[in-house]
Amino acid sequence: MGLFTKFVYLLGVRKKEVNVLVVGLNNSGKSTVVNHFKNEEERVSEIVPTVGFSVERFQNQNLAFTAFDMSGHGRYRDLWEHYYKDCHGIIFVVDSSDRLRLVVVKEELDLLLQHPDICNRKLPILFFANKMDCKDALSSVKIAAGLGLDKIMDKPWHIAASNALTGEGLQEGVEWLTQQIRDVILSKN
Amino acid sequence: MSAFKRDKKEEEDGGGNPFQNIEKTTVLQEARVFNDTTINNRKCTHILTKLLYLLNQGEQLGTKEATDVFFSMTKLFQSKDVILRRMVYLGIKELSSIADDVIIVTSSLTKDMTGKEDLYRAAAIRALCSITDATMLQSIERYMKQAIVDRNSAVSSAALVSSLHMTKLAPEVVKRWVNEAQEAVNSDNIMVQYHALGLLYHIRKTDRLAVTKLVAKLTRMSLKSPYAVCMLIRITAKLLEEEDSGNDSPLFEFIESCLRHKSEMVVYEAAHAIVNLKRTTSRELAPAISVLQLFCGSPKPTLRFAAVRTLNQVAISHPAAVTACNLDLENLITDANRSIATLAITTLLKTGAESSVDRLMKQIASFVSEISDEFKVVVVQAIRALALKFPRKHSVLMNFLSAMLRDEGGLEYKASIADTIITIIEDNPEAKEAGLAHLCEFIEDCEHTSLAVRILHLLGKEGPRTKQPSRCIRFIYNRVILENPTVRAAAVSAMAQFGATCPDLLENIQVLLARCQMDSDDEVRDRATYYSSILGQQDKSLYNNYILETLQVSIPSLERSLKEYTQSPSDQPFDIKTVPIATIPTREETELEKHKAEGMIISNGPAKPAVVSREENFAEKLSAIPGIAELGPLFKSSDVVELTESETEYFVRCIKHCFTNHVVLQFDCLNTLSDQLLEEVRVQLDPSEGYSVLKEIPCPKLPYNETGTTYVVLRFPENDLPNSVGTFGAVLKFIVKDCDPNTGLPDTDEGYDDEYMLEDLEITLGDQIQKINKANWAAAWDEAAPLCVEMEDTYSLSSMSTLEEAVKNIIQFLGLQPAERSDKVPEGKTTHTLLLAGMFRGGIDILVRAKLALADGVTMQLTVRSTDGDVAELITSTVG
Ligand SMILES: Nc1nc2c(ncn2[C@@H]2O[C@H](COP(=O)(O)OP(=O)(O)OP(=O)(O)O)[C@@H](O)[C@H]2O)c(=O)[nH]1
Ligand SMILES: [Mg+2]
Repeated sequence: MGLFTKFVYLLGVRKKEVNVLVVGLNNSGKSTVVNHFKNEEERVSEIVPTVGFSVERFQNQNLAFTAFDMSGHGRYRDLWEHYYKDCHGIIFVVDSSDRLRLVVVKEELDLLLQHPDICNRKLPILFFANKMDCKDALSSVKIAAGLGLDKIMDKPWHIAASNALTGEGLQEGVEWLTQQIRDVILSKN
Repeated sequence: MSAFKRDKKEEEDGGGNPFQNIEKTTVLQEARVFNDTTINNRKCTHILTKLLYLLNQGEQLGTKEATDVFFSMTKLFQSKDVILRRMVYLGIKELSSIADDVIIVTSSLTKDMTGKEDLYRAAAIRALCSITDATMLQSIERYMKQAIVDRNSAVSSAALVSSLHMTKLAPEVVKRWVNEAQEAVNSDNIMVQYHALGLLYHIRKTDRLAVTKLVAKLTRMSLKSPYAVCMLIRITAKLLEEEDSGNDSPLFEFIESCLRHKSEMVVYEAAHAIVNLKRTTSRELAPAISVLQLFCGSPKPTLRFAAVRTLNQVAISHPAAVTACNLDLENLITDANRSIATLAITTLLKTGAESSVDRLMKQIASFVSEISDEFKVVVVQAIRALALKFPRKHSVLMNFLSAMLRDEGGLEYKASIADTIITIIEDNPEAKEAGLAHLCEFIEDCEHTSLAVRILHLLGKEGPRTKQPSRCIRFIYNRVILENPTVRAAAVSAMAQFGATCPDLLENIQVLLARCQMDSDDEVRDRATYYSSILGQQDKSLYNNYILETLQVSIPSLERSLKEYTQSPSDQPFDIKTVPIATIPTREETELEKHKAEGMIISNGPAKPAVVSREENFAEKLSAIPGIAELGPLFKSSDVVELTESETEYFVRCIKHCFTNHVVLQFDCLNTLSDQLLEEVRVQLDPSEGYSVLKEIPCPKLPYNETGTTYVVLRFPENDLPNSVGTFGAVLKFIVKDCDPNTGLPDTDEGYDDEYMLEDLEITLGDQIQKINKANWAAAWDEAAPLCVEMEDTYSLSSMSTLEEAVKNIIQFLGLQPAERSDKVPEGKTTHTLLLAGMFRGGIDILVRAKLALADGVTMQLTVRSTDGDVAELITSTVG
């Protein structure tokens, strides 16, 4: 380790690196959300359905985030679990205008919460009730009730209504997540 | 440079390879650091290197192991380190065929392939192609099309080559990229142009017309890339070979013009193409040969090598032209590059006069120990050709071969020597005793089991007919004492052959076999017991059927039939007659096989699986068709007969499948009209007397450029063998729907009936006969005398002018297998006896002896012995 890096490390200035997992059904807007967090010059103009996953990086305050943007397509949902073990937080994106599939969302969420790599950890989970701009969108309160979020006792969670196309609501959510992760890291050291 | 030197030294010490002692489990353990939140690039790169090293050394990973390490590896996509990322691509490619769910990296790879980092793009495409299956291809199609026409040549090449690989899994999808490939052919980059042509040709290669157009266009366009020109020459040569046009065609002119190209590679390719074209005459050959001759004197070893190798390959087919280069070849005998020297000498051997053989053989002997096995094989092949050409030289050559046999060498090399000795023995009776003696000595210390087994088999077959059979037995019995069980078992079988053929040795053989019954190996004991008890019966016919003649059925079929029998038990005993008979490769096929290997300096790769007979293949297809499975086992499938000219509107070919009492006619029809969709395609027959049509199975739909099949099932005339040979009229009947040539969709639902005359179809005698190999024909003939009906007749074959011609025609007409090499007529003879064996449908044995005499045409006395009198009569009457 070079002298300078050592210095930086001692002072705690170096950015902490954290991994977050972005999950949710297909078409819920995960990739659009993540795209919005990136620097303006790194954003892509066109977003296509993800096949498998894609790694994206962005920063918030002095945390460097590595986001694993997973595909939400039915064929690939079984593959999320490969990435559960090493993440520090989860972003769960819900399409609030897709009332029909809210039960599917709940099913996937329950599976995730029961997974051995997740169930005993105090992982922060951030929910985006996305596509709030759609006219038949459910409110974040209704989504929280529909998914039974109040029953999650052992993990900090938060739900924010969002519009990933404009960015509305996204910052609020990610601020919360940053704070939660920082608390966990601080309490560990 | 100094580092390089040190590495080299260490390598000699054996301590140079840092990866020598790594272990799979340790590496997989280490790979867990891929999951760490912060990636250590250097460490991960090193671990991936180790993993790749292991995989390339042939280490096997289980599916679970591979999937685990694959998913860990996917996490490395978060690193921005260029070297690490490229290692990840390699890892993906290696693991893509073993791990599950590899499509997980699709988006990550498409992102890299379309991203800004040029170092990623080409490699990402190659990795992407290895993980993509047919269902996923659609989702990346757009990116592939873009990449093919990308400005970056590395990206374009990678996309083109990957597309070529993907035609294996989804040819239809890749076909849609033809416009992009077309555009890439115009690229200025030599590799892109070459790869684009490769893809374009691959997409079109099944469509003759399209290939012709492509070639016509490109040959006029003067491609920039020499690689592309070489490829174009190959395509053109193939087209020429298929086409029947003369050598004044523009295609040939193009190849010839390439002899004057500025790139040496192209010049060589053109010369190579011309000398290998089947129809090339000496006039066209001359300029190509002079180019090769020029290359023989080139300072570049690669050019000298290429030239001499090509000359070597065509030395047999064009001896005169190659002889013109003799002086240049003589100069290469002492070439510092031994490979070139070997090829030069063997070429001279192939074309040289008998008088130069001794000198050249001495020359080779001086360095044969220095050259690699592959080139030794080339030498052996030259000796084989020489021995066939100059039978009188057999002792020099045989001695040389036996000296080579005693040297160190791999299986392929040793096998080629043994093969050559066997060929010489078969071809030249005078060389037989000496050849067998050499082989006897060779098995004394032959380390290759498979080869020892083959030689023992040969000794068993040929040894008993030598002047002193007892000499061989000592060598064979030594194997029983010294070798592994497989060789011991083969030795036991070989000894039994002597017992069955030489009555005065029988007692001794029985003593030896008795000793073998004490062997520690089951197989050896079983064989010894089996042979000993048969030999104890003193019954010639038992000897013939159970020792001298081996099983005639196709082994894979037998295995399958036995399995089926055990799975569905029945009261009927298993009938071996229901098992299809093994196909016997014709002499031409065997020759072709040998010819292919001639002068080739590539190994033949892994051994091919057991050959399945044609019948076996067809049987599987036919049994899936309702109404055909009930006909019983398939007895024989004929060669393909064309019922139309090949360039007509509808192209129809027929294969005749013969069953015990039925014949199934398989008509393969090709629709070459792009504006027609055919439906309910069938063949209407006008069968000859006695035949009855039982069933027609039409082909429901036949779109443009596709081959469809329709069947007709007929019953042979009952109790009327003479009428089983007959000629049928045939008409193709179908409903036509006119359609749009571009989409292939019919214009209307209404179709109209139409028909198309086909050529007459014949059911011949040969269609109903299967070849049988009789190792000891004479014994079978004698044995058949009391059991069979014999028919005899004399014919005058006035249209034949040589014995060879007569022999060839008789074999073809009767569809029987020649025995005891009687299909070869010794040179200069005016009389000859042809011995044939086969089986008529229904399991009826046939033996035929044809005595031929040359006198103003050929006279033939034909004697037929068969277990069925009607069959014998049928044969004598149809020949007339
Ligand atoms: N109206 C509206 N549309 C949105 C919003 N967020 C995303 N979309 C659109 O929803 C579609 C799907 O977005 P993606 O980001 O590809 O969805 P995803 O969750 O990544 O989907 P997969 O990768 O297939 O799992 C796109 O057409 C987006 O433009 C939003 O807040 N409002
Ligand atoms: Mg997505």
